[in-house]
Amino acid sequence: MKSFAEWLSTTALSVFLQNHNSWAIPTIQSIHIVGIAIVLGSVLMIDLRILGWAGMDQTLRQTANRFGPWLTGALWLMLATGILMVIGEPVRELITFSFWLKMVLVAVSAAVAIILQRAVRNHEEMVAKRRGVKLLAIVTFLVWACIIILGRLIAYDHVWGAWSPSAKQ
Amino acid sequence: MDIAAVLQWIESTSLAARIRDSLLLFPLLESIHVIGLALVFGTIAIIDLRLLGTASTERPFKRMAADIMKWTWGAFALTALTGSLMFTTNATVYYHNFYFRTKMLLLVLAGINMLVFELTLGRVVHRWDTAPSAPKAGKAAAILSIAIWISVIFAGRLIGFTTSRAKQAAPAPPDSSLEELFQSAPSDTPKAPPK
Repeated sequence: MKSFAEWLSTTALSVFLQNHNSWAIPTIQSIHIVGIAIVLGSVLMIDLRILGWAGMDQTLRQTANRFGPWLTGALWLMLATGILMVIGEPVRELITFSFWLKMVLVAVSAAVAIILQRAVRNHEEMVAKRRGVKLLAIVTFLVWACIIILGRLIAYDHVWGAWSPSAKQ
Repeated sequence: MDIAAVLQWIESTSLAARIRDSLLLFPLLESIHVIGLALVFGTIAIIDLRLLGTASTERPFKRMAADIMKWTWGAFALTALTGSLMFTTNATVYYHNFYFRTKMLLLVLAGINMLVFELTLGRVVHRWDTAPSAPKAGKAAAILSIAIWISVIFAGRLIGFTTSRAKQAAPAPPDSSLEELFQSAPSDTPKAPPK
């Protein structure tokens, strides 16, 4: 992974981002944060509707249809800006414990979100009645919060001590 | 009262020192700040898009806004609290930082925008409550709101970049050689949070 990160940092796009890092990196990061806002806002609305704490003038299906596409769209935006951030600072991103744990949680959360969205579309009543779904709503929201924390911890990977790959070098 | 003294007092409190000395507290405050601001902008954008007639057009505006805004305010309180705690750790630097000042100004503008909307269209909401989009002034307020909040996010991110770099590039004391500076660096250099 170290050699891949070092190779990546020699590519033309990476060199460009490194040479323009004073504006390019904060701009990409800010767009990434706008993406976080759309994702977390959408997740909040869907989860609050599942819990019955907001949006009760709408059915669960209406809520999922309203926010699902924004959630998916924002996730693509975050993937694009995330890839650019990795290309711009490969070693800083890839040689961290936080980044890889974050990627695992993103993969799980995105899969759960897609499955839940399909389930709501096809078997709305069954989903709405299951008690486990309410627990799932709370857990998924907390996992998205953990993903945000891990994203910030990429810059502070030393907090993991010996688990951080940079500690071994 | 002298602002410089106030800022120095804020930095010298045990609360500020505790956050500065901790490995984990500052990054955690930053993370919770991001979670809070994401919920603030995420929920405000839902209302702005309703005003523009882009989404949620079938929901009456007043009920929808009341339903969502309490979460927005809760998240805003969380963001303001974590932001204030981060401010205490390095008050003087933040106070003089261009992007910090820009961000505070933008927050005031966002508040004024919201207040003007409440006092004008908010007063006659019954006239357009169920219309698929707000009158022109409401659409203008919505576009302004989205633009201001995105600018707040950009300014906030730039505070992190410029304050940690400002400290790294701090000028050397006038009568010290480069070698002396390097030797004393580990103990003298204040702990700069990474960007």
